Amino acid sequence: MTAWLVAFALTGFAGIAWSQSQPAAAPAPPATPAKAAPQTFDSVLNPNAAEQAKRQQAQPGNNAPVWRDVRSEKPYYTTDRGVEAGVLIQSGGETWRQRRNNQIIPIGGALFLGAVGIGLLFYLWKGTMKLKERPTGRLMPRFSGFERSVHWTVAITFSVLAISGLVMLFGKYVLLPIFGHTLFAWLTILLKNMHNFVGPVFAIAVVIMFFTFVRDNWPTVRDAIWFAKAGGLLSGEHVPSGRFNGGEKVWFWIGVLGFGVTASASGLVLDFPNFEQTRGLMQLANVVHVVSTVLMMSMALGHIYMGTVGVEGAFNAMKTGYVDEAWAKEHHEYWYNEVRNVATPHASGGPVPVAAPQNKEEGV
Amino acid sequence: MARMKFLCDAERCIECNGCVTACKQEHEVPWGVNRRRVVTINDGVPGEKSISVACMHCSDAPCMAVCPVDCFYKTDEGVVLHDKDLCIGCGYCFYACPFGAPQFPQAGAFGLRGKMDKCTFCAGGPEKDHSAEEWQKYGRNRLAEGKLPACAEMCSTKALLGGDGDIVADIYRTRVLKRGGKGSEAYGWGSAYGPPTGGAPAAATAPKS
Repeated sequence: MTAWLVAFALTGFAGIAWSQSQPAAAPAPPATPAKAAPQTFDSVLNPNAAEQAKRQQAQPGNNAPVWRDVRSEKPYYTTDRGVEAGVLIQSGGETWRQRRNNQIIPIGGALFLGAVGIGLLFYLWKGTMKLKERPTGRLMPRFSGFERSVHWTVAITFSVLAISGLVMLFGKYVLLPIFGHTLFAWLTILLKNMHNFVGPVFAIAVVIMFFTFVRDNWPTVRDAIWFAKAGGLLSGEHVPSGRFNGGEKVWFWIGVLGFGVTASASGLVLDFPNFEQTRGLMQLANVVHVVSTVLMMSMALGHIYMGTVGVEGAFNAMKTGYVDEAWAKEHHEYWYNEVRNVATPHASGGPVPVAAPQNKEEGV
Repeated sequence: MARMKFLCDAERCIECNGCVTACKQEHEVPWGVNRRRVVTINDGVPGEKSISVACMHCSDAPCMAVCPVDCFYKTDEGVVLHDKDLCIGCGYCFYACPFGAPQFPQAGAFGLRGKMDKCTFCAGGPEKDHSAEEWQKYGRNRLAEGKLPACAEMCSTKALLGGDGDIVADIYRTRVLKRGGKGSEAYGWGSAYGPPTGGAPAAATAPKS
């Protein structure tokens, strides 16, 4: 190669002269500079170029090497400056289509509807879990103002993304027949733009959320016991837990961190097509995005259920930041004891009502 | 009714880009969007082959199948068209299309996609034929004028054929026979129109005659 380049420089001829001398280039000793292959864009990038040149001599009209190139998904020469304009046929699109339409939409839809159904059945069976003891009237700080801001930023952005995402994935089959094309498209344009702009906010908020709540979500032996008893959810047995119970920790690590970060990363690939991503990468990102978000939405239903109608007093904790002592003792006894005995609540900052025990800023 | 198809004869295409220019001019396609392009394999090497590519108006169109708002429709002549008023600019048709036909003019910062634009087979859109809205969104409706696509009409070597699929196939079969059965591969026909349904494939009949 180097020898060839040196020889090229020595001859002082332009590339045109070389390519014109080429047709005579029958099988030639590679060391001879005069008969080397022409150094054009495609002959460097495409090893099939020489094969086609040879094939054309031996079997005129046989273009098999070219048709292999057509299907190779490699870019060839074009004056079109568009992304991947030089690719003649990309096959990944059909695979993506089959995966999306025949697997993700029916399976994902069944999964999400299944999660809704389980929540509904569970509510009909158990109803709202009431406090067993009477509220004491003494309040304990559970979530600081910062923690609640982070939670609600994630929660609101998540809800916007989930609703818009569901409409984009399933709306064609569910809402379109009801709304008709005009109204449905108008709604979807609005939701798609919201999805694109709210997405990056969610991505940042999820990272902040992770660092805000990671300390109290560290897995402990107590969680294993909690899981062994399924949190007392079915038996009604009292199972003590720390500031967050095993179920909340699973949601934190798998839902928030696992699916949240996966969905954010794949979503950002799709949200900013100005970095000349290939279609192959965007197809992959779309599959990862939809799978992770459908799983996250299904899990989120469980979290939303427990935080609203499932458990009495749970919603107030994240709304006001305070819980009744009776609630704390009943749902998070280890945390309650820590706060009581050490008098150093986990929740940091925020105003303390007169009734609440004095708290100091301290990490545990 | 005729089933409209495109065919590019790689043995004839000379990469003059006349089809690209004709299309751009005919529809006043906006800057940054090319409804048709020519790709050359082995450019500058003996045996180079060029192929003109646009929307092939597939029988089982992937763009149609993945569109979240169902903005695509197919005319009686098999032309795949879309309604820009419904398009949400998600880019799914671009992911799915084997030919890279759907294009998105940039509508804002960070590559925000505008309404998708693609070859219409010179058949306009859902608006009233020859209306100002149709012209502004989709370009000229030559089919309604009784004309064939501008790109194929303009092609200097008649490499690019566009029109009734049966007639296009007959012309091509005749050519292949005259070439002694060589160069019978038609770009994208398998991907766009599926396996042949009627008549024997040209390559199979050619050597016998």
